[in-house]
Amino acid sequence: MLDAFFQGAHQVFAFDTLLYMLIGSVAGIVAAAIPGFTVTMAIILTLPLTFAMEPLQGISVMLAVYVGGYTGGLISAALLGIPGTPSSVATTFDAFPMARNGEPGRALSLGVWASFFGTIISTLVLIVAAPPLAIVAVRLGPWEYFSLIVFALTIVASLVGNSLIRGLIAGVIGLGLATIGPDPMMGRPRLTFDMDLLSPGLPFLVVLIGIFAISQLLGEVEVHGKKVNHALIPKSIDFKTWEVMREVLGRPVNLIRSSMVGVVIGALPGAGGSIANLLAYDQAKRSSKTPEKFGQGIADGVVASEAGNSATAGGGLIPLISLGIPGSAVDAILMASLMVHGVSVGPRLILDHADLVYGMFIALTVASFMMLVVCVASMRLFLRVTDIPKQFIVPTVMICCVIGAFALNNRVGDLYLLGIIGLVGYILKCLDYPLAPLVLGVILGPIAETNLRRALMSDGDWTVFLTRPISALFLAAAVLSVIFSIRSIWKAHKKDNGQKGAVV
Amino acid sequence: MFHKIAMAAGLMIAAAAVTPVMAQDYPNKPIEFIVPWGPGGGSDTLMRIVGLGLSEVTGQPVPIINMPGVGGTVGLKEFAKRPADGYTISQIHEGLLTANKTGITDLDWDSFIPVALVASSPQYLTLSKNDHFKNLAELKAYAKANPGKVRAGVTLGGVPHLHMAMIEDALGVQFSYVGFRDTGQRIRALVGGNIDIAIGDVASAGEFVKNGDLLFAGVGTEERTGEEPDVPTMKEQGYDLQMAVTRGVVLPKGTPQPIVDKLADDLKKAMALDDIKAKMKNAGSDNVFVGEDDYKAYLEKLDADVTKLVGKLQG
Repeated sequence: MLDAFFQGAHQVFAFDTLLYMLIGSVAGIVAAAIPGFTVTMAIILTLPLTFAMEPLQGISVMLAVYVGGYTGGLISAALLGIPGTPSSVATTFDAFPMARNGEPGRALSLGVWASFFGTIISTLVLIVAAPPLAIVAVRLGPWEYFSLIVFALTIVASLVGNSLIRGLIAGVIGLGLATIGPDPMMGRPRLTFDMDLLSPGLPFLVVLIGIFAISQLLGEVEVHGKKVNHALIPKSIDFKTWEVMREVLGRPVNLIRSSMVGVVIGALPGAGGSIANLLAYDQAKRSSKTPEKFGQGIADGVVASEAGNSATAGGGLIPLISLGIPGSAVDAILMASLMVHGVSVGPRLILDHADLVYGMFIALTVASFMMLVVCVASMRLFLRVTDIPKQFIVPTVMICCVIGAFALNNRVGDLYLLGIIGLVGYILKCLDYPLAPLVLGVILGPIAETNLRRALMSDGDWTVFLTRPISALFLAAAVLSVIFSIRSIWKAHKKDNGQKGAVV
Repeated sequence: MFHKIAMAAGLMIAAAAVTPVMAQDYPNKPIEFIVPWGPGGGSDTLMRIVGLGLSEVTGQPVPIINMPGVGGTVGLKEFAKRPADGYTISQIHEGLLTANKTGITDLDWDSFIPVALVASSPQYLTLSKNDHFKNLAELKAYAKANPGKVRAGVTLGGVPHLHMAMIEDALGVQFSYVGFRDTGQRIRALVGGNIDIAIGDVASAGEFVKNGDLLFAGVGTEERTGEEPDVPTMKEQGYDLQMAVTRGVVLPKGTPQPIVDKLADDLKKAMALDDIKAKMKNAGSDNVFVGEDDYKAYLEKLDADVTKLVGKLQG
């Protein structure tokens, strides 16, 4: 075993591997920082290059891109209020207000450190507990997935902002949008009205960019009349790197809880980072003593979201390494790159290719340190973005969004969809509808539908949802979550009324 | 970077429209390869390797453009609109025929010029570890005694559904179908015991079989495969079933014959490269090359088979 470990280490710590990894890390961070460009795209661009590399070298470079990518999304989330990737939606909630309040440096630092610790924690879990966790994950059937998604839908209550009703409406709109296009089981068209534009459905990323980026950018240019020559964010203050590290480590409960949420969600094939950050944020908000401060720039919110999404990197590798089952699109690409080299990825990977598996553990750790160094060293550069006047930054970001939306599926129709959805998002935003529930609906709707239908195809009996223990557990959690939300809303109401009474 | 690619692509299309096509110097610029499926899947991985080989033979870059959606038909629809000059190529497999016959798309294999079949992945009837059956005969007996009880994982309306329907038909039994989007998902559910049988391949299920978690009950090839010599063919067991996912390169209708021939020739050379052969094998495909005419004949026969079983696919 030690032998294999050193063999793996030897390959990862080769000069060329480290150099390629560094380039990969920078590429991942930059790609994810640009709204519309995702980690998956960066990895696809890396894939052909790895064909020419040794298997472990190729995988190490991809892991560097992967880890960098989970952090990069935070940069535009904090500085522009636009999630750079689907996994940094929750980061915008607090990092952006924090930056607007004059602390962009702190917001970035918090996110970087939370990401770093999130990756490290997930790597540790991966090393220690991968096989048993993977066996649990593979046993989960459609019943458990459906119940999990029901539970995840209840977190809408944490994301509603000012009005519960508007939040719920936004969530339902999201679920509705997700039904457009081919149905997930049979591929039959639904609500497409025979239009080519709608026939492939609304790609999740296009909805995300349209809803968050376009509406945010339109909001930025609302002030008309005099020429606004100022930047989006008032002034940049320094990052206090070490101080912030202590700040992050000073919240061990939040950090570990969020990372574990990320690991578990990452380990479940099909869910991934785009849910983990929202779930982690929700959990942090609920267990906070000051939940009302969430959304106004609280450090806990940034830490939860970033630790949560970065931890899915290690989590996603759990089923891949122990069973050869990819947890996400990115993991599927990692697996393909190994297969092309003749490495059979399956339950015997760790027995047959121990050096490779240890090498991956090492590479993941090295990649997170690289990400940290690159981010800390280049943060000053990123903060310069905040010096650029609005009239330059808004159109530039808009162009990136459009290119990103196109590059996703190379379909021109997606660009029209982007425009329409962007407009809808802007209108909803003007009417003070929260946008996160809508996006959550779009992410979760298809997963819920697929698994519900799959469950009933496997067994027509509805009670199976309650008789399978893990499924029942999730459903119970969902009920509790709803009760908890109703109670806290009711409490807030009473407090409001009490205050009003006092004034009158 | 994407700016540049998009611009270059635009220029290429513009240039293609004005330059007369000449076969002798074809190809003299990059060939766009539209893969109508998402990255990371079987088609994507295999076609990237084919693209790599083609690029090595022709000396021109062969960029892969993933255009997924609606069972591979979105990319093909776009591809059908591209100039028929040989500088845009695409790929089809059995799924296009099932999608056509079940009414998902108007496009069919003969909407394009089939150039060559370059990849073939034999499909295996894969069983979960269970107490009721361990081979094809036992499966038949169990399924006969318990109609509709055996849960079969397929892509509804897709190729695995076709294969499963062929087996169901041949055994004279009835399965209940559970839908999954891709082979990886099906194999995962099979390992987890959430379904009982599925169509799998060596790339996705081979390791589980080696590890004793799953069983291969039969393969849909003429002869036993080199990877799994112990697995009997369906034919040996008395059922003459061909089950494979074959992938071929196509050109838009109207492409001049000299270009078609030149591309077929280049593909043949590419698929004969040792490096490419090894990579294709690793990614789960046999090393095959079937030229234009035989490929067409294969597709015609397949067309008849699909037409026969289409009723079962629409359940």
